[in-house]
Amino acid sequence: MRTPPAFSLDSVVVGRSARMRGVFDFIRVISDSASTVLVTGESGTGKEVIANVVHHGSPRRHQPFVAVSCALFSENLIETELFGHERGAFTGAIRDRQGRFELAQGGTIFLDDIDDVPLSVQVKLLRVLQNRTVERVGGTRTLDIDVRVIAGSKRDLRVLVKDGKFREDLYYRLNVLPVVLPPLRERREDILLLMDHFLARYFRERGLELPEIATPVRQAFLQYPWPGNVRELENACERIAQTCQCGTVRVGCVASSVLFNGDGRAPAESELTAEPSVPALSLDERLREVEAGLISWALKVSTGNKSKAAELLRVKRSTLGDRINRCGLGDGAPAGESSDDDAAAVAS
Amino acid sequence: MVTRERVEAVLERVRPFLQADGGDIELLEVQGNSAKVRLTGMCAGCPSAHMTLYMGVEMALREEIREFEELHVV
Repeated sequence: MRTPPAFSLDSVVVGRSARMRGVFDFIRVISDSASTVLVTGESGTGKEVIANVVHHGSPRRHQPFVAVSCALFSENLIETELFGHERGAFTGAIRDRQGRFELAQGGTIFLDDIDDVPLSVQVKLLRVLQNRTVERVGGTRTLDIDVRVIAGSKRDLRVLVKDGKFREDLYYRLNVLPVVLPPLRERREDILLLMDHFLARYFRERGLELPEIATPVRQAFLQYPWPGNVRELENACERIAQTCQCGTVRVGCVASSVLFNGDGRAPAESELTAEPSVPALSLDERLREVEAGLISWALKVSTGNKSKAAELLRVKRSTLGDRINRCGLGDGAPAGESSDDDAAAVAS
Repeated sequence: MVTRERVEAVLERVRPFLQADGGDIELLEVQGNSAKVRLTGMCAGCPSAHMTLYMGVEMALREEIREFEELHVV
């Protein structure tokens, strides 16, 4: 089995979509803080990559980054996994064991698949987040922990809260700095960029230069809906790099699922022969989006208090007022849930 | 019943990509519930292209035509 390469910020592709740029701008703002981050995105959109980016951009970057998927463990195991256990706590507990929170001491813990945590464990998690202490299973000592928490969820926790499957108090405790990653189908302008990135990486791993890529291959990639998001695209690229033998990436190298499960529409001749178009990018528009995103964030964090928000953004109160009007954030709720604005997704 | 028309309809889904890349997939014959196709063009001699098309076309054929049995790629 191939071991994943160590995480490096240089290997992260931001992409050209406004939503992804918004995400990375937001991450830059929140990296210094120690507040809890909630990353929501479909499977394969890059939640762990984002968690890594946050950690590696933070003052905790030289401390441990511990990632744990809460979906991997049964209800009983998850507790000992997260909080550790003492010798004799249960049959088979032959020695003390540190939990993931302890292992992340001083650094960051990434609790992925938080939406799969059973209600009974949610209570315990809430206590940990509130008190910043853990108790090992079967133990009596209370250990202080200094760990930044990043939670990952593939489902919208608000919906789970409404359905009674997720504790509301824990949701609010986690949803301090929300980051929403868009599915790949909603940022199609990044598909070719990601494709080139992954192909180059996997060909390099084979010791080869990136060969020419036939236009129909790009077309197939552009048409496919990518339900597995960036992860699926990465795997498709790995497959190509591992199997291509003729020196050009041709249609035959592409996974059959990608060729057959596009939108079923035959590509027009002109589409196939023309170079894939690159959408134009308006700097003003992009800047306004970024500005609106940051102002929404500041207003949200300061619960609508504009003076506090202005302080956070290091602008004068009057300037903030002007900008709020300019961005059209003027009337109505103090930035409410800006989930759609600060979306993201990634490749590493 | 597996007819040439039904098999051709499935092949049409992947054909535009192949043709754009200077190749094609040709239906040689339908025999009972099985079909024989030939890959032409640049990808013709490539083992991974054969795997791609064998898997993709056979799966698509079985999805569309319940009684479809076997695909032979020559």
